[in-house]
Amino acid sequence: MAEESKPATLRRDPTLPFQRMDEDTIVVDPRTREVHLLNETGARIWELLETASSVDEVAEALEAEYEGAAPGAMRREVEAFLAELGGKGLLLPKGRA
Amino acid sequence: MSGREPRCQDQEVIGEAHGHALIGQAQEWAYRNQVPLNASIEITLRCNIRCLHCYNFDRDEPRAACDEPELSTEEIFRVMSELREAGCLFLLLTGGEILSHPDLFQLLDRARELNLSVQLLTNGTMLRPGIAARLASYENLQGVSVSLYGATAEVHDGVTQMPGSFRRTWEGVQRLRHVGVAVRLKFILMKQNAHEAEAMRAQAAERGFHYLIDLTITSRHDGTHGSLETRIDRSTLEQLYRGPLRDLGHRDAFEPTEESFPCNCARGNVAITATGDVQPCISVPWAAGNIREQPFAEIWRSSAVFQQIRSLKIADYTKCGPCDHRAYCARNRGAALTASGSYTGVDPFVCATAEIVHTLSDERAAESAARAAHEPPTGPQVRARLAVLR
Repeated sequence: MAEESKPATLRRDPTLPFQRMDEDTIVVDPRTREVHLLNETGARIWELLETASSVDEVAEALEAEYEGAAPGAMRREVEAFLAELGGKGLLLPKGRA
Repeated sequence: MSGREPRCQDQEVIGEAHGHALIGQAQEWAYRNQVPLNASIEITLRCNIRCLHCYNFDRDEPRAACDEPELSTEEIFRVMSELREAGCLFLLLTGGEILSHPDLFQLLDRARELNLSVQLLTNGTMLRPGIAARLASYENLQGVSVSLYGATAEVHDGVTQMPGSFRRTWEGVQRLRHVGVAVRLKFILMKQNAHEAEAMRAQAAERGFHYLIDLTITSRHDGTHGSLETRIDRSTLEQLYRGPLRDLGHRDAFEPTEESFPCNCARGNVAITATGDVQPCISVPWAAGNIREQPFAEIWRSSAVFQQIRSLKIADYTKCGPCDHRAYCARNRGAALTASGSYTGVDPFVCATAEIVHTLSDERAAESAARAAHEPPTGPQVRARLAVLR
């Protein structure tokens, strides 16, 4: 019988310099010479991505912390945000997480 | 903190092209909240060259026997963790010559584990091919600043007192570029190389390197003053600012706030010396405590020295406050302290520089106004005149 496939997990690049600034987090990427500022929710996701997590795990954690999130909306936003982080090279490539 | 620019040239992020506004925002946050976002660690005072102007100590004399031992690698690890815990993001490793530290790569490993953005200051002579390639493997290495003291081997090697250092430094710089590490050249302008100022700039420009020109020569932190003999005099500075450094000899007036002269020392900046003293900046030899005796956070938060610096008002700067040139002055705290013995004192050379910059800025403004008066009126000006005639 085939094994049940696990959902893909993502993790932030552990070598990137960053610092929490009150609610926000600044992330510096010396390789691209770019600097990114994550807002409160982005900063929380960055925190969660210290360990490899799936989109569902991140969305569930946020839903538990932020009251009133419409069902499904959080997941879509998390997915979009993670795609953005991935596009900027701030996440480990899939398979290395 | 609008209009305030608390970062020194040395604390610019090397090679950072796209994030100036965000970094400015982070610096502003650090200043406001007193978070040591920028830290320098002097990992060793050992050096393979003997620069005439060195501010550490007189390198032609044997080191004083009473010197404390330098921080061990373990102690540097500990202070790096403490700095990170306190909010540090930008870490500068300086010396001495950092590449003479036997555990430099272990320190870089730890900085990477701590998610610190690292910049290095080196004389470049020990950047052998393997070293440059290894440095390039650090994803968190923001860049390397390399000091140069002339446009020719004769002049540069005369300053370092090491034959071949000019060639070796340039080789090192090229190796860094070859492996993709961002490099910033740092030209220290002094008596020995003032006549090569233009050539030094041209060399950097031709080879496509970012550079800065630093006029800071101070007394040494061992209390000796021989380094000052390398300083250019007022008349040379004025000639340079009217000639090859014309673009640097003027600036927009920058009035200090009512509160104080803007400076990130002890607010967003901190430095740890090779023997563990905690200073407001690496160029300001005023110890607020020592990390061998107290946790860093305690020194940062409550040392008398840092409390005093943070509480300074413009009225405490008795000479600078009423000075006519204050809006044109870079107010180098290290120079002021080593020249006068007081953090709020002055260094006459810095005062002279401010006066020259003020004069040249006024002259330039007058030239611009005169040019504008002779230029044909623009469309809006013509319309404005017609409106008056009606």
